[in-house]
Amino acid sequence: MSVVPAVMSAVAAKDLRMEARGRHAASSVMPFAVTMLLAFGFALGPDRPLLAQTAAGLLWLSATFAAVDLFHRAYRTESDDGALGGLLLAPGAAGGVYLGKAAAAAVQLWLLVVATGLLVALLFGLPVTHHPLLLLMVAAAGVVGLSAIGSLFGLLTVLGRRQAALPVLVLPLVSPVLIAAIRATQAAVSGDPGQAAGWLSVLAAFDAAFLALGYLVYGHLLED
Amino acid sequence: MSAAIVLAGLTRAFDGAAAVSHLHLSVDVGEVVLVEGSNGSGKSTLLKVVATALSPTFGSGSVLGADLVRDRSWIRGRVELLGHEPRAYADLTAVENLRFVCALYGLPGALAEPALERVGLAEVATVRAGSFSRGMRQRLALARAVMRDPDVLLLDEPYSGLDALARLLVEDLVDEARERGHTVLLASHERPRPGLVHRTVRMDAGRLHEEART
Repeated sequence: MSVVPAVMSAVAAKDLRMEARGRHAASSVMPFAVTMLLAFGFALGPDRPLLAQTAAGLLWLSATFAAVDLFHRAYRTESDDGALGGLLLAPGAAGGVYLGKAAAAAVQLWLLVVATGLLVALLFGLPVTHHPLLLLMVAAAGVVGLSAIGSLFGLLTVLGRRQAALPVLVLPLVSPVLIAAIRATQAAVSGDPGQAAGWLSVLAAFDAAFLALGYLVYGHLLED
Repeated sequence: MSAAIVLAGLTRAFDGAAAVSHLHLSVDVGEVVLVEGSNGSGKSTLLKVVATALSPTFGSGSVLGADLVRDRSWIRGRVELLGHEPRAYADLTAVENLRFVCALYGLPGALAEPALERVGLAEVATVRAGSFSRGMRQRLALARAVMRDPDVLLLDEPYSGLDALARLLVEDLVDEARERGHTVLLASHERPRPGLVHRTVRMDAGRLHEEART
């Protein structure tokens, strides 16, 4: 196996194993997302059609805000005991480290979006049964975009301890991904697979662009 | 004898203040050099620059003939820096930590268990590193060096947090590296046992002041 795929799979497996044991994200990110959804639900009131109309946006908003904490936590484990130094000194591995961190974050976020999506379906009446496979694909494409950006800028939270900069950097940049994910979800639940597929293509393009950018830039951020 | 480490007028500054200043040093292949100096003298910065964890601000240098800036990736494959932090993941077991290092460096994962055996951690191989004492974490870091068997070994205050037995282990590792013709740069404010190092250099306020062959 060449360096990048091997490092990517090792970093992703390591991050997921640590999360499975420590349940750091599960114990804080999930309750945060659920609390946000409930707060939105109470704020909008018992108007069922309004809730169903806004459900896709609420789902992705809660996932995005919860994701910011997840990205921060993913790097906090690297700063303990100087583990990040070990990643830096691995030869030619920066791109693989970035893709591995992004892959692990995407898996966790996908589970979060699917779980909160089911909750949204239950509470807000989001019709998820029309095109479930398409919705799962939208969820996957959306979380890849979020993870591509968050895993790049999450690194800044451990370099120079600029934790406060993470939401400032991440939230504006994820806007295109967020908009495309919301529109694709709305189209899929309203029974318009053609429009959903169109937005899914836009999401895929964003994913590819952000992943390529992160892959190229990550090594420069990691150095010095 | 060819040079393993060559530094020519090397300066490394942080926010304009030089931690290492106009440093000239040449270390031969197979040589073991002790870098002495008090806290803040620039020993750690020197080792980090040689390990390519930090870039020189001015000056140049090479490790095994490869340029410190241009050939960073190549150098990283041949150098191991054991610094102040053991670089272990608390939620991974000792053996998982080492296998992860193997994956990063393209080494077979089977090297992990013998390395743990070598540093006396075989019995806690499947225990999470988060429950280890500082000394045990230091041993885990030593196991990384054992496993990688680098051409150039950089030890930054390796005696810190270690008991007498573990100190012997560090010195045995240095001896073994020397026997295999590997180069060791050992930064410490504590004296190693007599005969362990070929040469001692002293750092003070970022400058190399004196040099003595032992």
